Amino acid sequence: MDVPVWHASLNQLEKDGKVAVVAIVQDQHPDRARLFLQWKQIGWPTLADSLDLLNLETVPLTLAVDEHGIVRFTELPMSAAKTIEQTFVNQTYPKPAALPPADAPDLPALKAATMRNTAPAWRAYGDALSVWGSGSAWSDVIGAYQRAAERDGGDGLTQFRLGSAFRKRYDSPARQPGDFQDAERHWAQALEIDPNRYIWRRRMQQYGPHLATPEPFFDWIRDARADIASRGETPLALVVEPGDSEYAKPGAGVTAAKLPATEPDARGRIRRDRGEFVSVETAVVPSTAAPGETVRVHLTFRPNLRTKAHWNNEVDELMYWVSPPRAWTTDRRAIVAPNAPTAVSQEPRMVEFEVKVPDAQEPGAAAVAGYALYYVCEDVNGVCMYRRRDVSVPLQVSASQKTTKR
Amino acid sequence: MRTSVSWLLFTAVSAAALGAGAAGQPKPKPIWARNAPLPHGFNAGEAFPTIALPSAADGRPVSLAAFRGKKVIVNIFASW
Repeated sequence: MDVPVWHASLNQLEKDGKVAVVAIVQDQHPDRARLFLQWKQIGWPTLADSLDLLNLETVPLTLAVDEHGIVRFTELPMSAAKTIEQTFVNQTYPKPAALPPADAPDLPALKAATMRNTAPAWRAYGDALSVWGSGSAWSDVIGAYQRAAERDGGDGLTQFRLGSAFRKRYDSPARQPGDFQDAERHWAQALEIDPNRYIWRRRMQQYGPHLATPEPFFDWIRDARADIASRGETPLALVVEPGDSEYAKPGAGVTAAKLPATEPDARGRIRRDRGEFVSVETAVVPSTAAPGETVRVHLTFRPNLRTKAHWNNEVDELMYWVSPPRAWTTDRRAIVAPNAPTAVSQEPRMVEFEVKVPDAQEPGAAAVAGYALYYVCEDVNGVCMYRRRDVSVPLQVSASQKTTKR
Repeated sequence: MRTSVSWLLFTAVSAAALGAGAAGQPKPKPIWARNAPLPHGFNAGEAFPTIALPSAADGRPVSLAAFRGKKVIVNIFASW
């Protein structure tokens, strides 16, 4: 990713107040775009379109909009500011007879319109809630889109927005079990309906298995943080850190010396944690795979806050051992989630790995087993113990090779 | 998002087209848009959507209509 070539040309015009630049980002996590702009020392106001409310197929896109809100150009020249200044900035454009009003939807009226129980009414209500609703409105947004989808299952936009809303809720304090998997399921459905949507495709890919040539979605973040810090600034904190799937080159993190060469608890002797201390959530991207295809498994381990369970960071890290079924292959058997720098902590710990479905696998439900080993402490100043948490990751094997390439 | 190769491609196509647009003559669609039409409100001569989007900084709704009275370059992209 790089700064647009016209940025330098427009810089002085912006400073002179002759033109404004507004960024609209299509990220699921728009704060990452803000970090990029901080890195490049660009101060554009930035709006977030995580749900593709603008209904765009692809990015990037640059438009020149006149003082009345009318689009004048859909591209900008590469040449110097003089061209832009002459052909756009210094032009005087006629005021249209009528201008669309600024968007300030009547939420009660939109809600009342849902009484008609049509897909468009529910989607319009969901769209408005996603922007104008309160901070805890993601459940309401999801509910509205679900009703729209029930009435029109063939609308890709509703499916994509529903998936993005589930992922928004997953990343919020209002998270519900299964939100991440539900997000993937609806994105997959959206792509099935319209496979030409580049933005939707990238949304799936960023959480999915590494492609033949791993995609550097957010590898730039490492450089950005180092450069920003070297300037004496504090890099903007991200709400959600990218996972391994979002890097072409995941961080070195743990050395090979910390990974066990053989199964660490083959005889199952470590005491089990059945959820009293740590819960686990699974998500598979894609959740349905054909024989021969690869899926990416996301596991999230969360200390039970109700019992004040917390990680003990003064000992070994959480280690996850993958036990795939016979003939299934995985990119690695052992994965380690690093400790936090403090002595104790309660942050969720994420583990990702990839599994390939055997060519001869029969269609139907399948599961990939594994277990985590970790040190967890109970309550404040409570007992610390070493526990094993067994995990079964469900996925569906389809009957044939998918026609829609991910 | 890929590097500035994609930026160079469509901005290079537009140099002559920008002059044609200023003279009022129709300009050809860029290569990338010929099979992927832009929705209403994103084409020359159309009113840009006034739909509000949340500010990435604080989540408050902001509409492009708030920038009326000033010429605006709208840069739509993704940080991947």
